[in-house]
Amino acid sequence: MIEVESLSLAYGRGRREIMTLDDISFSVEEGELVSLVGPSGCGKSTLLFALDGLIKPTTGHIRIDGEEVHGIRRDVALILQDAGLLPWKTVRDNAELGLRIQGLKDDATQTLATLGLEGFESRYPGELSEGMKRRVGIARALALHPRVLLMDEPMANLDSLTREKIQNLMLKQWKERGFTGVLVTHDIEEAVLLGQRVLVFSPRPAVLSEVLANPEAGMAEYRGSEKFSERVRYLRDKLQEEEE
Amino acid sequence: MRYIARYGLAFVLLLGVWWLASWILFLVHERQVLPTPWMTFQVGAQNIRLLATAFGNSAWRFLLSLCIAFSIGLPLGLVVGFQRKLYEYFSPLVHLTYPIPPVALLMFLYLAFGIGETVKVLVVVVALFFQVLVAAQGAARQIPQSYITSVRSAGANTWQLYRHVVFPATLPSVFTAARVSVGLGITMVYIAENELGLVAGPESGLGRLIDHFAFRPDLAMAGVVGLALLGLTFYSGLDLLDRWLCRWRHLEGHGEG
Repeated sequence: MIEVESLSLAYGRGRREIMTLDDISFSVEEGELVSLVGPSGCGKSTLLFALDGLIKPTTGHIRIDGEEVHGIRRDVALILQDAGLLPWKTVRDNAELGLRIQGLKDDATQTLATLGLEGFESRYPGELSEGMKRRVGIARALALHPRVLLMDEPMANLDSLTREKIQNLMLKQWKERGFTGVLVTHDIEEAVLLGQRVLVFSPRPAVLSEVLANPEAGMAEYRGSEKFSERVRYLRDKLQEEEE
Repeated sequence: MRYIARYGLAFVLLLGVWWLASWILFLVHERQVLPTPWMTFQVGAQNIRLLATAFGNSAWRFLLSLCIAFSIGLPLGLVVGFQRKLYEYFSPLVHLTYPIPPVALLMFLYLAFGIGETVKVLVVVVALFFQVLVAAQGAARQIPQSYITSVRSAGANTWQLYRHVVFPATLPSVFTAARVSVGLGITMVYIAENELGLVAGPESGLGRLIDHFAFRPDLAMAGVVGLALLGLTFYSGLDLLDRWLCRWRHLEGHGEG
């Protein structure tokens, strides 16, 4: 579904050029959800923006469904860090933003309801709790019925209870809708909980240092299992090692 | 309701200060230098038709100037502020012309356009235009990147980017600028009417009226009150518009997780 081949990303020009990703290759199967972890500033989010077509690869290729990615694709949606809601639009207008921009007639009523936002459609983001804002951000992406969902730390900076709720919500949506997902997170437990594979990046310029198979992700009771804690521990050690 | 009460209180306070000032000046100079509020309102009531006509003319002139200044300054400021490349070339031009008081060019404007309505409006437009331009440009540079990314990621074209993000994001700052520029705008209306309306009668505008009745201080003072009311009218008009168009900024409260 998604193929990334010898991808390098750099920003700045000339002598000030900073290499964020260096020769990364991986692929994501149709319907698979993978997590990306790595030290902060290693370019995980930049990679996500490249997958979304917002920035061009410096070298290498990104293909979705065998087609080279040049700019925004309608079947790919992005969930931003802190949701990126527009404060002057109501919950409904925020959730339907993508639909309106793409000139689609659909509405987000159903999506908002499944995310527990029924009755809040005419509120403004300023009136919502942080957890609700994130759900609106998720609704905005899901309302487009994407085949690929890119998630940039959608649960970061939330209290643990709210985070767990949204993680479960995300898993449920993934099972029901069957999208292909790429989740960037700095929360190791979250990466193991949601990703059927966990891709580990090294510090900048980042290379792919490990791919951890995690097929139990998304199964019931996985969060409390021995295998879960074992993998979390393993990844924590691995990342700590890299930071040194 | 509380809004009106506060204005009422301010009004009473102002009348008190005004009355006190005219009384002190009377004691010092031993003659009436500043007419008292009572004298002013009395003469104002007697000449209400004249004052209303002058008020209407000034208000119309100001409204027209405000609309023209906004319809040119706002889009230009937003585009220049938002497109970084354009900003680099354009901002020196703005910063060079911005500090020039339009009054300094009055003579040339007068020679170029005569003393008709055009030039009066033009002077006010030029002054307001720069206020709007600079405010819009500044606001457009402050737009958080995540707003832009969220619409770009949905595949927005340039027009949609302006419609969904740039315009609404800058609207609050633009309203603030507009409210601040009411003071400047009214000063400019006053100057334009005063300097460029020598052949016109006192009914042609409040500035003209004040100048015309230089030897009738009570009537001139009624004109000054008219200017204050003109400012208040526009200020509250813009405030109401802001509260309606940017209602998302005036909300409080949080839902549950």
